[in-house]
Formats: sequence, C-alpha cells, structure tokens
Amino acid sequence: MRKLLVAGVAVTALVAVVALAPPRSTSAQQPAPPAPPDSVVAPRLTVADSAALKGPKQPIFFRHDIHSGQFKMQCQYCHYSVGVTSEPGIPTMQTCMGCHLAIGGSDSSHRAEIKKLRDAWREKRPVQWVRIHTLAKHAHFPHMRHVKAMGPNACGTCHGDVARMPQVFKVNNINNMGFCISCHVERNVNRDCTACHY
Amino acid sequence: MSDHTTRDPIDRRRFLTVMGVSSAGAAALGGCSTGKVEKLIPYLVQDPDQVPGLPTTYASTCTECPAGCGLHVVTREARAIKLEGNPEHPINAGSICARGQAGLQGLYNPGRLKFPMARHGSGHREILWNEAIDRLAAELRTAGNRVAVISGAGPGTFDTLLESWVTALGGRLVRYQALDHEPLRLASRSVFGQDEIPVHDFAAAQFVLSFGADFLETWHTPIENQRGFAAARGFERGTVAKSVYVGPRANLTGINADQWLAPTPGSEVSLALGMANALLARGRAPVDAGALSVVLAPYTVAKVAEDTGLSAEAITKLIDEFAAAAPSLAVAGGIGAQHRGAIDLCAAVHVLNYVAGNVGTTVKFGAGVKGGDGYGALAALERSMAAGEIDVLLVHEANPLFTVPRAGGFKAAWDRVRFKASTSLFFDETAAGSDLLIPNLHPLERWDDAGGGRNHLAGLIQPVMEPVYRNVATGDVLLQVARKLGGLLAQQFAVPSYQVHLQNRWAELARARGADPAAFWREALQRGGVFGPAPAATVRLAGNITIGGPTQIDGDGEVVFAPYPSSMYYDGRGANRPWLLENPDPVTKMTWQSWVEVNPETAKRWDVRDGEIVRLTSTTGSIEAPIFIYGGIRPDVVAMPLGLGHSEYGEYAKGRGANALDLLSAQDGQGFLPYLSTKVRVEKTGGFKKLARTDGNPRELGRGITESIPASLAARGLTLKQAYEELGKGHHEINTERELEAITGFREAQVEARKFGDYAAEHPMWGMVIDLSRCTGCSACVTACYAENNIPFVGEADVLRGREMSWMRIERYFEGGEDGEPFKASIIPMLCQHCDNAPCEPVCPVYAAYHTTDGLNGQVYNRCVGTRYCANNCPYKVRYYNWYAYAKLAFPEPLNLQLNPEVTVRARGVMEKCTFCIQRIRGAQHRARLEDRPLRDGDVTTACAQACPSGAIAFGNMNDPAAKVVQAAQNPRGYHVLEEINVRPAVTYLARVVPGAEA
Repeated sequence: MRKLLVAGVAVTALVAVVALAPPRSTSAQQPAPPAPPDSVVAPRLTVADSAALKGPKQPIFFRHDIHSGQFKMQCQYCHYSVGVTSEPGIPTMQTCMGCHLAIGGSDSSHRAEIKKLRDAWREKRPVQWVRIHTLAKHAHFPHMRHVKAMGPNACGTCHGDVARMPQVFKVNNINNMGFCISCHVERNVNRDCTACHY
Repeated sequence: MSDHTTRDPIDRRRFLTVMGVSSAGAAALGGCSTGKVEKLIPYLVQDPDQVPGLPTTYASTCTECPAGCGLHVVTREARAIKLEGNPEHPINAGSICARGQAGLQGLYNPGRLKFPMARHGSGHREILWNEAIDRLAAELRTAGNRVAVISGAGPGTFDTLLESWVTALGGRLVRYQALDHEPLRLASRSVFGQDEIPVHDFAAAQFVLSFGADFLETWHTPIENQRGFAAARGFERGTVAKSVYVGPRANLTGINADQWLAPTPGSEVSLALGMANALLARGRAPVDAGALSVVLAPYTVAKVAEDTGLSAEAITKLIDEFAAAAPSLAVAGGIGAQHRGAIDLCAAVHVLNYVAGNVGTTVKFGAGVKGGDGYGALAALERSMAAGEIDVLLVHEANPLFTVPRAGGFKAAWDRVRFKASTSLFFDETAAGSDLLIPNLHPLERWDDAGGGRNHLAGLIQPVMEPVYRNVATGDVLLQVARKLGGLLAQQFAVPSYQVHLQNRWAELARARGADPAAFWREALQRGGVFGPAPAATVRLAGNITIGGPTQIDGDGEVVFAPYPSSMYYDGRGANRPWLLENPDPVTKMTWQSWVEVNPETAKRWDVRDGEIVRLTSTTGSIEAPIFIYGGIRPDVVAMPLGLGHSEYGEYAKGRGANALDLLSAQDGQGFLPYLSTKVRVEKTGGFKKLARTDGNPRELGRGITESIPASLAARGLTLKQAYEELGKGHHEINTERELEAITGFREAQVEARKFGDYAAEHPMWGMVIDLSRCTGCSACVTACYAENNIPFVGEADVLRGREMSWMRIERYFEGGEDGEPFKASIIPMLCQHCDNAPCEPVCPVYAAYHTTDGLNGQVYNRCVGTRYCANNCPYKVRYYNWYAYAKLAFPEPLNLQLNPEVTVRARGVMEKCTFCIQRIRGAQHRARLEDRPLRDGDVTTACAQACPSGAIAFGNMNDPAAKVVQAAQNPRGYHVLEEINVRPAVTYLARVVPGAEA
C-alpha cells in the first residue's frame, strides 16, 4: 500500500518537474521590448517545423507571428474581452472564419492548416487549443485593469513578444508571485494580498 | 479519518495519482498545478448575451412557493450561478428568501431525472422521449374521459393550457398545493362573499396580531409580509408596531412578536370573537357591523378567559392595545394552527379586522388570490380513484404520495389507477409510484409565467441556460400528446410549441392593453413581467354570518400534536437541497434532522432530555424522533416540523428524519387538511440521538450580545447606555481605568502604524450596520452567503462536531420559558466583524490573517497553513476551518456548475470566513476604474445585505460621509458586540426597539 502511495507521488512529481522546468534558453532569450512591428516578416515555416519550435504543438499550426507580427493585427481583434473583463476571450470560430472564408493561404502548408479550420467550422467542431497560461485558481488576474493601466499593447509584458512567435510558448511563469510583485513594486501599485487572493 | 474516507468515492492514493497525470482538475482543486494539459475550447459563434468573465443577468420568476417573487438570475459563461431578487418586482422588491435561492440546488440537483423512464418490473428503465409521448398518448386514447390531473402549478398560462387540455379530454383537473390557505379563502367567502385570499399591508399596521399564521415563514407571501413587518417595526417613523402571536407554539413569527399568547389549542376563535365584541362595544366599528352583535355578544371577556385559559387581564390588555392602534392588522390561517375550526378562526379574524376598520386599509381584497382547489377536491378525486373511475392520472408539480397523510386511503386509491405519470424533476415518492416519468424542465430552463395568483401581476419565466439534462417541458408534452391523439384535440392545440403559445397569450394581453405585442413582450422580458397597480375591491359583510366556537382536538393521547411547516423544507420539497438542510431552523437551530419539541416542564415530568428518542403514537400511526426541549411551546403540546421523512426524493432527503404527517388522519376538514387535529401518546424508546443543532449555548448568560431599547427612550434619541441609566438598570462601565489607558495607548499606536506603506494612502473603510429592529432571523442571508461564496455544506455528521462552515449565521438566544418565566427569544446575525484591532491577526504565524488597507480582515487562503490559532483567538467564533476537503463532497456533479468563478474554492486544511464579499468590492473597483470614476455609495453590496427581505443590513464605505451606512452607524441605538474587549468591530448593530417603556 505504501509503495503505491509513493509511486503516485512520484508520478505527480515527475510530471510537475517536466512541466515546471522551463526550457533553459527561455530566460536568456527573453525578448527585448517589442520592436516596431513594421520590420516583422514572419519566417516561412511548415507544420513539420512546429515540433522543433518552443511551446506545445497546437491542433492547428496557428501563426501569431503572421497575424500579430506581419499583419499587425491588434491583440484585441481576437482576444475581444481582454479590455472589459478578467478573461481575455478566446476568439470564436466565427471570428477566424470572418477572414478565412476569403483568405485561403499563400502556400500549400498554410492552405493545409486553414483547411483544418474550415473543416472544423463546417463540422461545427471547435478547435481544442492547448492552454499555455493557466493562473492558479486562488489568484485573480483582472486583465482589464492591466490593459487599462498599461495600454492595449502591453500584453507582451507578461506573454512575451507573441508577434515574433511562430508557436506560442510560456515566457514568464505567471504563477510565480514574485513575477507579479516585482512589477507592482516597480510601478508602486497595489500590493495588498487581497487585491488578487480572495 | 475512517469516517471521512468511507464517504469518499475516490480514496486519497488514487486521487493523487489521477491528479498527477490527467487534466481532470475539478473546479474544487486549487493550487498551482501547472503540469496539467488543459484545453481552451472556443465558442463556434459568439453568444451576444455572454462575455466570458462578465455576469449576464436575466429576469425571471421564482416558483419555489406560490408567492411568485421576481428573480434576477445571475449567469456566468451561460450557467446560472446565483438567484437574486428582482428590485422592480412589487412582491419582493429585490430581496429573496432561503428557499428561493435554493432553487439553484433544484436545477443542479444530483438527483434530477436525466431522461424519461417507464415502469419495468419493480423499478423503472430509461426510455426515449418519443416513446414516452407515444406511451402517454396511447394510454390517454384507451382511457377516454377517465383521466385526471393533479397539478401544483399556480395560475398562469400553463394552468389555463392544462385546464383546456384536460377539459378537451373530458377529464378532471385538481389544483393541489399541500400548504394551501383554503380556510382563509372559505372564510372570506362566508364573511364577505369574496372568494379569495386577501393581501395584507403589514407596513401600515400599528399593531400586528397573528392567530397562528406563520407570516414570516410559509404563510401566503412570506417575503412581502416580512418586508412590511420590518417597515412597521424598523423605527423609521419613530414608532414601532407592537406584535402579538397567538398559537400553541412560538414559531419564528412568534419569537419575533413582542408577546406570545398560548391559549388552549382550538380556542383561538373565542379570543378573536371576544376582541371583536369588545371593539364593537366601543363603537369604533363601521355601521353595518351592528348585525354582528348577535354572533359576538356571547364572547365576553369572562367567556374568552374560560375558553382560552388566558387571564382576563391579559385579554383586556390585548383588547385595549389593539383598539388603540389604527390601523391594526390581525391575520390567521397558518398551517401550524390549522385545526378543524380553522374556517371559524379565519372568519372570526376577518370579523375582527372588519370591526377594527382594517378591511380596505391593511386587509385588501381585489387581487383575486385563490390558491388551489383545496384538499376537499383532492379527497373527492381520491374517492373517484378508489371507485375505479380513473384510468390515467397525471401528477404535475405535486407530490401527493408524500404530502397526503399515509393513514388515509390515497395510496390504495392510487394503486387502483391503471396508469400514473409524473412530471417531477426528481425521483420523489409520487414518481416512484408512477408508471411513466416524464421529467419537466426546471423553471430556469424553460418558458412560463407566474404571478403569485394576483390579477395585476404577471411574471415571466425564461430559460437562462441550456437544460442540464435534455428533457422536455411539460407544456410541450401536452401539445405533442394532443397532436398524437389527433382529431379535434390536435386542431385545438395546433400551436407548434409551448413558447409560441405563451407568446401568443402575452400578445393577447398586450392587445388588451393597447400595446404593441413585440415591444410589450420585450419589455416584460427585460423587467421580469408586467406589474400593474393592485386593484381594490370594496367588501361588505355578508348576511347571516355564523361562526362556530372553540374546537376540541381528538385522540386519546396525553398531549396535542402540532406539526408545523418548516421555513426551510416548506411542504417537503426543500428536503433534497443541502443548502436548506444545513441552514439551521431559525427557531431551534436544528439541521439535517427531525425533532420533537417539548416544553421544559413536560420534559421534567416525563424525565426526558434533549436527544432522547421518543415514540409518538396517534390513533393512525406512530413515529420516532429525538426530543428538543423548547420553552416556546405549551406544556400540553408537542410539535414537529413537516417536510422530512422522505422514502424517496434523492440521496439528501431519502430516509432522513420522520414524517410528521404519519400521525395525522387524512380526513377532510370541510375542504382542507386539519394539521392540528390529534392528540398523541408519548413513550420513551431508550434510544438517543445527538441533536445536530448549531446554537452552542442557547442562552446569552448576561453577555449583552443582543440589545434592546424601549421605544419611548429610543424616541428621545437616547443611547443604549443612557437608556440603561434611565431605567435604573445600572449599566456598569465597560472598561476599568487601566484598561482605558491601554486602549488609548493602543489607539495611538494604531494611528502611527497607519502612516506607513500602502496604509498611508487614502482608502475606503468598509463597514456594516445591522438593524436588529428589522432582522427577523429568517436566514435568507445565510443561504445567500453559501451561494455567493462557494461555501460547502458539511453534512449531519460534521455539524454534530461543530464544523459547519456558515460564514454568516443567525444566533438565537432564549430567555425564560422555565419556572414560570415568560418565554422570549432574541436574534442576531453574526459574521466576521472585521475588527480594526483583530485578535486573529497577530497570532497567525504566516500572515494569512492580516488587515487590508481598506479595513478588511483579510484571509489569504494560499498562505494559510491551518494552525487554527486565529479561530481560537476569535471572540466571535466566526472563523471556520476546512477539516476535510468539504468542497469535494459538497459539489458533486452537477452541483459544481453553481460555483461562483469569482471566489476561490477553498481546499482542505485552510481557515476561511466572511470576506465582506471582497470579490464584489474588487469587482466594483474594477468597474469604477474602467469608467474613470471614483467608487460611489451603492456600487458594492454584500450578498447578505442584497438578499435580506427586511432590509436590515447596510454596507458601504465608512470613509464616505455621504454613504448611507455612515448615517446608519451614527444612529444612537448603535452598539458593538463585546465592546469591552476593544477589538473595534467594523460591524455596528442597532439595538432592537421594543414597544412601550420597558426593555
């Protein structure tokens, strides 16, 4: 019985370690403050390259670097509720199709990915994205307050320069309270425990 | 530990394993479990009503009792998470009772039927919906007109549809409410020729006299009554209406009254007629009341005293006080005092109101409230069933196999009916006895309307979310069955769906008012309905009024048995909702169990103690339940709450407690069921059951927790201390000189400390004021707190260990009731006092309990390591510890869908307590910041204050001089509980004002 218990804990620990340990290079490659997006041209990549990229593989090789970087789309175009609620809002399939009804992709690899989206839309089957940032349930993060205070382009402060990420990965450990607090100290804003924990 | 693990479907080891490798992280699990692979699943199409993270509120109408209160249903991510009162609704004006809020636990009840079922051998098996409709249609086809329907649905579109459906089939419809007010309606008919239940204006009354009517619990429209009662007693006008309760047992209404009179059960009518007689003699009555003198003349004070056993002085005093108040209000007709003479009693009270000139002022006719067809109609149907005249019986929103006493022949008659169908959402007794279960949708999942039976009110019920289970609304079942049956029936019910039928009917309503149907519908949907002004009918005394005298209680026992409706379980429908099972009974503070109330004197005579199990035997049956010694009951009466003792009705209700109805004969008492009708024998069984009561010590022991002040002194603006001095009660100095020195020193240190860090800036200072003159102890706030703050219920076993988690609790203290002392009770809501000088804070070794910059006593769950030092040091005992992972036990699917996403679900080993609804404070601050404005008074209110039907709780920023709460706190009646320990609470209580010159 005792053995079983230990095994259980070990599994938990192993998974936790694997998941918690960030790729070594991440912090070293911490992107500099986003450069003017004009200069961004997304690299040509195919879905086969996604395995080599940082961050979890998504069901569709969705390119933030193309949408947000090359085409300079506002984050809020898709993450529509970030300015009004604590939830950033995952774009509905309808939002995607709003453009991709017409836009079918410039090369075969893009077309293949967009076809996945169109198939899913036709079959009324939402795409199951792999979640990258999950805030612990005992903390509350009001996205809207941060967007209000720091402006609509401040997303990168926590999420990194998504405009240059072909595949999104976790840049900062948002569940490390020091990460939050250091910023709050620097800006001399609320550090009360119950600002977030309730 | 073993006790705990056996309750767990997953043991701890397996739980850990599962936790590690899968994403099955239930909402109940907190922690930084970043190792889980979670999925983000987008909407296909954006619902225009839903923004993730923002609540969407829908107006609807409550159907938990026939009162018809308006609801605001708060939804998040398209699921209902809280029920609140609709501020625009004339009945409840934004407040809501405990039962109403627990409607959510009906919606998400784990015992809900997930699909239609048909009898299969001794049990039931799942069938498809089209099979169920076919089956019902086939049975109806063969039955011809030998069809009957028992419906508990109140007046409204569904009721009219059902009536025409049954009529088209040639069958019979019986509208049956277990807790109906037939005697009151029948008395209105005999006294005023008006076949309706009057509406009462408690707020206008200067004197409230109740003859057994539990108007704060279940009688008529409890919230409306309570709002009025609080207004009459709240001392806003500088006066306070006196309240007297007449009945064998002091219920919540009784303990809120200033005086409790307990005449011989059955003799109340004599007191009412005696009072009317005296008032008539004083010449204050309307002219046509003279005809009553023949009826009233025999009821002299001496006769009343002889009949009731009350002293002549007490009767005269009551008459004098009642006569001096104008307008006054007398009410009657409560279930707990419904004996065979109930119609006479209600008629006598009508006469008393008429003689006192209250009819038309505090007693109003014209709204047309009818109630059901009455128990007499059900009894008549039962005879037809027994005679084999009914082949198909449909039961809708009723549970007659539970609410009709078993001693009668209802079950036998039921068994003679060839085919029974039930539309119950749950597997209740009636469903268990049915051949076909066609579960209705919950009112939060379907279209309907309800107006509490009042002509001028029509409340809409709209679906606020996708159904939890894919069932079919009974309105649609009726239409589909009619279509299946074909012929004329199909032509008559050709409308495609019940929703269309409802809209058509509302379009007629709109056209009748000359309004555009579409706009009318849209506005009604937004506002929750159409609320016209109350019509008034002038009534005159009928001729030939005869009113019978006192009634005898039958049976061969030693004591009278008084079953009474519980303010939590109502007619038994609340027994499957843990919020109601764990919300203590307002009078006894009992949870999860049945009990028998016995007077201390009687208990001494019988040599029984609290918890001793006794057997009660009447001529029709016997039940066993533990003793609860209660001073608020006559020595020759024992009382028991109704609503428990279910043999089915889901895991929470089944097999819990005893059914008090088992002692009653099912005999029809001229159109109603006489509940107070039998005497019982009581014998010891030798068994014992620890009572799951939450009141700790039921007496105050001079601690000065609840305070009261005589109206005459309060009117002069005296403080409590001055009042004590005036009364010569010698209120001693709270603190000694040395203590005062320490207090001053401490204050200075505190002021110093406020100069540093975050604390130096300007912040709000949250505070609360609770007016004990208004609070009735109804416990609506308790359920509101459970719903808002994801508070888990702990169950009977843990309540017995004192581990209930009620952040907000109502403390009830008894006085007297023994050795000839008059019985009294006082009530006070108790929650975290958010002390400025909080004793819990300095003892926390990890700073989990600390003072926030905005004056809250913060509790950081993720910091807490569970030493429980804070709870030990709390003088108010308002900190609650998670001994087990209660959340896992309390929110089994689909109950977890109710959880408020704004509040952390606490884990095991964590201390928790009232936060002043900090999630609401932070939410309001976020909104204000987004709108670039400062926080305004009224932006934040706590869940308890919002729900309170009495308006007893005010909440706001104490640093805002314009805030209502600041003005309330400056009331001279204000005091702090346990002021002498200098913890400086943020909660101010206002002493209860009692009429007269004596506290």
